[in-house]
Amino acid sequence: MTNGSGDIRGEVRAWLAAHWDGETRRPRDGQTADFIAKVFEAGWAVPSWPEPWWGRGLDKADASAVISEFRKVRAPGAGQDRTNITANTVMNFGSDALKRKVVPDFLSGRVHQCLLYSEPGAGSDLAAIRTRAEREGDEYVINGQKIWTSGAVTADYGLLIARTDWDVPKHEGISFFLIEMRQPGIEVRPINQITGDSHFNEVFLDNARVPAENMVGVEGQGWKVLQTALAVERLVMGEGAGERRQGSQKSNVVSLIDIARDAGKLGDSLTRQRIAQAMAYRQLNTLNMMRAKAEMAGGSSSPIMSLGKLAMSRILHEDARVMTSILGAASMLDGADHARAADVNYRTANAYMTSIGGGTDQIQRNIIGERVLGLPRETEVDRNLPFRESRAVTG
Amino acid sequence: MTAISAEERAAIRESFARLLADQCSEEDVRRTMASDEGYDPALWRAMADMGIIGLVVDGEHGGIGAGAVELEMIMEEAGAHLLPGPLLSSAVLAAALVAASDDVGAKARLLPEIASGELKATVALTGDTGSWTREGVMVRAEFDGDRARLFGSASYVTAANVADTLLVVATTAEGLATFVVDPAAPGVGIEALESWDLTQRLSRVTFDAAAAVPVLGAGERAIEHALALARVALAGEQAGAARRIFDITIEYLKTRVQFGRPIGGFQAIKHMAADLLIEVESATSAARAAAQAFAEDAPDREILVNLASFACADAFSEVAAAAIQMHGGIAFTWEHPAHLYLRRARADAQLFGNSDLYRERYVAALEKAA
Repeated sequence: MTNGSGDIRGEVRAWLAAHWDGETRRPRDGQTADFIAKVFEAGWAVPSWPEPWWGRGLDKADASAVISEFRKVRAPGAGQDRTNITANTVMNFGSDALKRKVVPDFLSGRVHQCLLYSEPGAGSDLAAIRTRAEREGDEYVINGQKIWTSGAVTADYGLLIARTDWDVPKHEGISFFLIEMRQPGIEVRPINQITGDSHFNEVFLDNARVPAENMVGVEGQGWKVLQTALAVERLVMGEGAGERRQGSQKSNVVSLIDIARDAGKLGDSLTRQRIAQAMAYRQLNTLNMMRAKAEMAGGSSSPIMSLGKLAMSRILHEDARVMTSILGAASMLDGADHARAADVNYRTANAYMTSIGGGTDQIQRNIIGERVLGLPRETEVDRNLPFRESRAVTG
Repeated sequence: MTAISAEERAAIRESFARLLADQCSEEDVRRTMASDEGYDPALWRAMADMGIIGLVVDGEHGGIGAGAVELEMIMEEAGAHLLPGPLLSSAVLAAALVAASDDVGAKARLLPEIASGELKATVALTGDTGSWTREGVMVRAEFDGDRARLFGSASYVTAANVADTLLVVATTAEGLATFVVDPAAPGVGIEALESWDLTQRLSRVTFDAAAAVPVLGAGERAIEHALALARVALAGEQAGAARRIFDITIEYLKTRVQFGRPIGGFQAIKHMAADLLIEVESATSAARAAAQAFAEDAPDREILVNLASFACADAFSEVAAAAIQMHGGIAFTWEHPAHLYLRRARADAQLFGNSDLYRERYVAALEKAA
């Protein structure tokens, strides 16, 4: 892996030493939010972006070095040029005015976002969305329903795709907006999930309004903008963000070895084989990601990055399967008195968040097959029809 | 170990790849498969001239002095081309075993000739159980003063049919030890085993009071070290071979038309390809990480080498098997290369210990590290 120049590492270390307590993993002064704001002001939030745009204009190797120094001491806020979905999307496609208006708030963690993509009738076939955006003066008026939106209750902004043209093929009539969530036309209803959590929501848009200046990219080009936003999201999921429960900074990885020891099965050779396989899936994915980053730091693009999310879904399902086999009959139990069982059952259900959310494993395999391996595209019978005539509309 | 720059490394890989493209085509491999020796002497000499055979032998003994990272890299190329012959047996396993010993004389006698390719050595390690573990050794040594005699048998010995020297691992009162044996000496019997993978020749070797010269300081530690390096090399071979048969398959999916479109457009096939890509990339990452850890003697070396051993074996086996299925009927014919990869994959998956063994050792190493 490329290490970046010593100068930049030294500078980051010195800065971190002044602002972050590596022992307690807390900011030296104030709250985490204050620290993240300082990270932003220092340019570490987006080190590869140019200086006028809140970055430091670093090359890939040096930018990776910044992230790695932050990781070493578990300090948050750096490297959002790779991971912040909203900031990257607006930065790539938004007008200069929109960038200045919203990007600093997103990078400094002052505002929260949610993703308004999927609809009841548009899951894997996301381009079949029917939420409409109609221009009225300086605004667009939004009507429709979104689903699988996490963080909608606390979000300040939503990244919204809506249809602005019904007379062109489905991918061509979509526009991308940054909509303010706190307004009368938006209602959020939590979804009760199979895990018992309510992490996701339905969002009803009833004459909600968004200023025309908050369109990201140009009208009708929303699909292209969305691809960038999705690529960032999948990258983050492949690195295991799906393993962190909401609100928890702590990684949720548990040791299969510990579980087997506690269950008195660490000496069982079949159990050991299963543990090895599950742990290998995880370590191989880590090694793949490290190699991909090294290749990208060296200037070449890496196809490996697109594999991470699919690999992570296998890891999470396999972990849950192996834990279940270790626990045996106890896995039928639940509740606080049966913490291990409750945990494994939660994991079993929650693994679907990664294998369905953000593009199902099956859609991921299509994407890998087509974009990485260059295999022919799926046939899509309504791809070139005016959307109005598609079965998504006619039923 | 000599420091080798990234540029030199790339140059070695490129010239070796060119040599193999030129002299180790599928046609060449098939000709070698049908030969008595099971290797191509002209290609062997060209590899020696290029420094490939002396790659991991130190400069003092006429080699290049490269390490595990460079070795893994050239083995990816060897695997991609299904290179037949004694590269792994002689230039890696035998060379590493002698190099890991304390025997100055044996090093001076054997290493320069191994590095130059003039002498082909191999290591007889496991018995009929084929476990490549301490318990699997079925040769014992009896000492008579300085002289030793070997009794018993070793099996699955690679390239023994063309070996000029045998390095034989045997049990002694002090544990495992290594002996140099002349394959033509009285009391040594070499029986060629018919192998399913025709690109790698296997033999069973018997010893009946065969005269043997002990290699000093080539006990369990040296054997383990040499075997680990050979496993890193094998992992590289598996990663390279898996990638090549995968690439061959993907190309076919783009050109084979059924139902009016290339078959790679069907999800049943496309999804297999996507899953296999994870295997191919994982194998490459695992082999290279193991090589790096071996070269640096890193704290996680044992974990990573064990991981590479089963991950690369399993990946190559899975990719080679699926490649035949994805091709369909054409790959069921002898003339198609896919089965050559399957044969190599199945042999490589057993060589130096199977995946179950290394999964077990991986967990043990993780436990130790925890």
